[in-house]
Amino acid sequence: MTADQRTAGTSGATLAAADAVDRGDDPARAMAEDAAEHHLMTINMGPQHPSTHGVLRLIVTLDGEAIVKVVPDIGFLHRNFEKIVESWSFAGIVPFSDRNDYLGAITNEVAVCLAVERMAEIEVPPRAIHLRVLFSELQRIISHILFYGTFGLDLGAFSPFMYAFRDREMGYALMEKATGARMLYGYNRLGGLRNDLPDSWFRELERFLDYMERQAWPEYMALLIENQIYRERTIGVGRLTPEEAIAWGASGPILRATGVAWDLRRAAPYLSYDQFEFDVPTGKNGDTYDSAMVRMLEIKESIRIIRQVLRILPDGPVLGRVRPNIRPRPGDYYSRVESPRGEVGVHLTTDGGSWPYRLKWRAPSFCHLQLIPLMARGAKVADLIAAVGSTDVIMGEVDR
Amino acid sequence: MRAAVALWERLWNTGKSMVVGHGITIREMFHKPVTVRYPEEKPPFERGSRSVPVLKVNEESGLLNCVSCGLCERSCPPSCIEIVQAIGADGHRKPWPETFQLDLSHCMVCNLCVEACPFDALEMADVVELSSYQVQDLIFNKEQLAELWKTSRALRVAGGECIDMGDDTVAAGVVRS
Amino acid sequence: MNILLYALLKAVIVVAFLGLNAFVLIWAERKISGYIQRRYGPLRVGGPAGALQSAADILKLLTKEDFVPGGADKWLWTLAPAVSLIPAVLVYLVLPIGKTVVLQNLNIGLVFFASVTSFTLLGIFMAGWGSNNKYSLVGAMRAGAQLFSYEIPLILSTIGVVIATGTLTLQGIVEAQAQHHEWFVFPQFVGFVVFYVASLAELNRTPFDLAEAESELIAGYFTEYSGIRWAMFAIAEYSNLFTTSALGVTLFLGGWHGPWLPGWMWFLLKSYLLVFIGIWIRWTLPRVRIDQLMDLGWKFLFPLSVANVLGTALYLMVR
Repeated sequence: MTADQRTAGTSGATLAAADAVDRGDDPARAMAEDAAEHHLMTINMGPQHPSTHGVLRLIVTLDGEAIVKVVPDIGFLHRNFEKIVESWSFAGIVPFSDRNDYLGAITNEVAVCLAVERMAEIEVPPRAIHLRVLFSELQRIISHILFYGTFGLDLGAFSPFMYAFRDREMGYALMEKATGARMLYGYNRLGGLRNDLPDSWFRELERFLDYMERQAWPEYMALLIENQIYRERTIGVGRLTPEEAIAWGASGPILRATGVAWDLRRAAPYLSYDQFEFDVPTGKNGDTYDSAMVRMLEIKESIRIIRQVLRILPDGPVLGRVRPNIRPRPGDYYSRVESPRGEVGVHLTTDGGSWPYRLKWRAPSFCHLQLIPLMARGAKVADLIAAVGSTDVIMGEVDR
Repeated sequence: MRAAVALWERLWNTGKSMVVGHGITIREMFHKPVTVRYPEEKPPFERGSRSVPVLKVNEESGLLNCVSCGLCERSCPPSCIEIVQAIGADGHRKPWPETFQLDLSHCMVCNLCVEACPFDALEMADVVELSSYQVQDLIFNKEQLAELWKTSRALRVAGGECIDMGDDTVAAGVVRS
Repeated sequence: MNILLYALLKAVIVVAFLGLNAFVLIWAERKISGYIQRRYGPLRVGGPAGALQSAADILKLLTKEDFVPGGADKWLWTLAPAVSLIPAVLVYLVLPIGKTVVLQNLNIGLVFFASVTSFTLLGIFMAGWGSNNKYSLVGAMRAGAQLFSYEIPLILSTIGVVIATGTLTLQGIVEAQAQHHEWFVFPQFVGFVVFYVASLAELNRTPFDLAEAESELIAGYFTEYSGIRWAMFAIAEYSNLFTTSALGVTLFLGGWHGPWLPGWMWFLLKSYLLVFIGIWIRWTLPRVRIDQLMDLGWKFLFPLSVANVLGTALYLMVR
């Protein structure tokens, strides 16, 4: 097999594996038979593998260390979110949506709330809108901290992971104080937020932001991002062109790493993002180094946005008046927000009943997962792990 | 020439980043660990932490506040609350629950039942050590829920209210390093 | 008869030290990594600062079921841990612990050390092949390429010292350093750096832990091992960590030479200092990729070590 065939083989294998799935076979078997013809080796990476970020299964055909084909196999964390919510009240969908992308819970809630509020014409008080921005950005910081840790772990550095957890814990302590829960907050309500916050909380938040900006962020950069081994491992690895990224529906830091300055907070402002000043960091090469760097810079931008929110946060109620029984206007409603991973979209169809007729969840990780075969073109095993790590997939969101 | 410069830059950055990185790890080594050694020392529960909805008991009468209206049952998204209204000897329905069952294995701790309750009968407790090998142990009846209310530090946060965190929790700090 | 008893005594001492060393190092590595990462490390089992953790671990491993995976090559699989342990034991023979304390002062001590340690590869490869596991096989192939490539700069980096002293006995090298009160780390700094980097690679430790890269290959060549067989791999690994550091001390840091304290104490102190640096490096750096590893070995360390040998020889000739 020549190098060209190998590169071309990526998409061909995807089709063969997809055929196998259509026939009801295990795609791994089809790939193994195919591989045996060429004296190659097929490995099942996952779902029980230390670095597959949950329960992702990658069927990998290897020629020694070189990757010939990669086929991601999903569905191990399927919880039937979209069907279950068809029999749930609109208010109940909000806390349930936390479970999709469990590291970006607030942004999920905001996405659902925006769709339902548009549908039922619910007024949200300005303080609640600003607080939603604040919490979305705090969530983004916490999620990107974890990305830093797990990406380091994928590359074999263990200490950054523990430092990331140390700092994430502070963020979660803040979240717990504000929302009452550590990961799955259930904080947004239709028409606002569950509860208001005292001044002491905002003071602590400022301390956290100062700590992140002055101590933690420079440490992250110096310990891992500027390390030469890390740079050699990531620069040029898992490269995507802007055209590919757009064609495959990439969004968020993966798309921005390729140089496309597409950020929903800027491109299609929701909540009150149009009132704040912030930059959209972009990369140049679309490799894993750039996507990690984009995330690191986004931490800084998020800190900047939160500081601006704190400056202009108005007083007032945080929960508007909402009728207990929502009367939906029949029709389709779509809302999209920029989650830490990319564009989260909620497509809500109602027929006027008190529960949704259909709810489609657009998960950014699902799109990014399909980029992995592209990112692993002509790579080594270690690069595949780096590529999976840099997409920052959350399987809860992929399988829903 | 350019290759030589690139090589030199790589070498220089290798050396520099090694020194800086090792400096960071050795510095962290002489800081106090941030681990909370869980069973012996417990992290402070923030005011408003929630883990399980419990039934509030009226301090004066010793009876449940619950009047068995069923609003929480209806508002519960995963339908983990089950209420059966009491029926007295005279055959009339009475304003207290005959059974009030909460299936904690289904509960997603969303606080919606508490917000739905107009009678101040539900609160969110902050007990988390409820794990069990038997799923049946996670189904609580009304006596158990009342007992949990008495033994835990429960809090009711109605929609849009401001949580009073008190000053003591501010010190029990965010920045632990 | 006397000779036999004497040999037996030596063997017992070595094995006792081997166990004790693994005992201490496993605990130390976990403790140091814990504090580096702002954790406590092992605490609960007992002893000062959880020092009995290793004892508990070994007890647990001993009592585990002896399990052979189906499809494994039984002979290769069962022999592999023993084969990887043998070189770890043998190298103690030539380590000059004190001025007069050495088990066997071979006149080709350095050659013996180098040839015995390269034996480790055999055990690793047997484990990787015998496991009938693809991750193990990939890990073993990586280990093969890696150990093979780094053996050469490792040995070449010691040649400079050999040229300077004109002897292959480790005892003689230390004595040469003690005589002139000059440790070879200063004149042979390049050699020392090459030696240390190559020895990290030989030991399969981060940033060169590709053979057991957890995030890629689960546990590499010992993925399928558990219980006492796994423990033998671990003991061999930590023993090699100590002996390679001890060789570095012998060649470059003056061995047992040092003021005030007795010689063996200096030797242990310096060796464990190098071990600590190894642990420190492990918990700081990310892992390199296989092609970068080969690049570093063949395109950087190898020429550097050759240049070091040439430079040393030229300097001595001119002088």
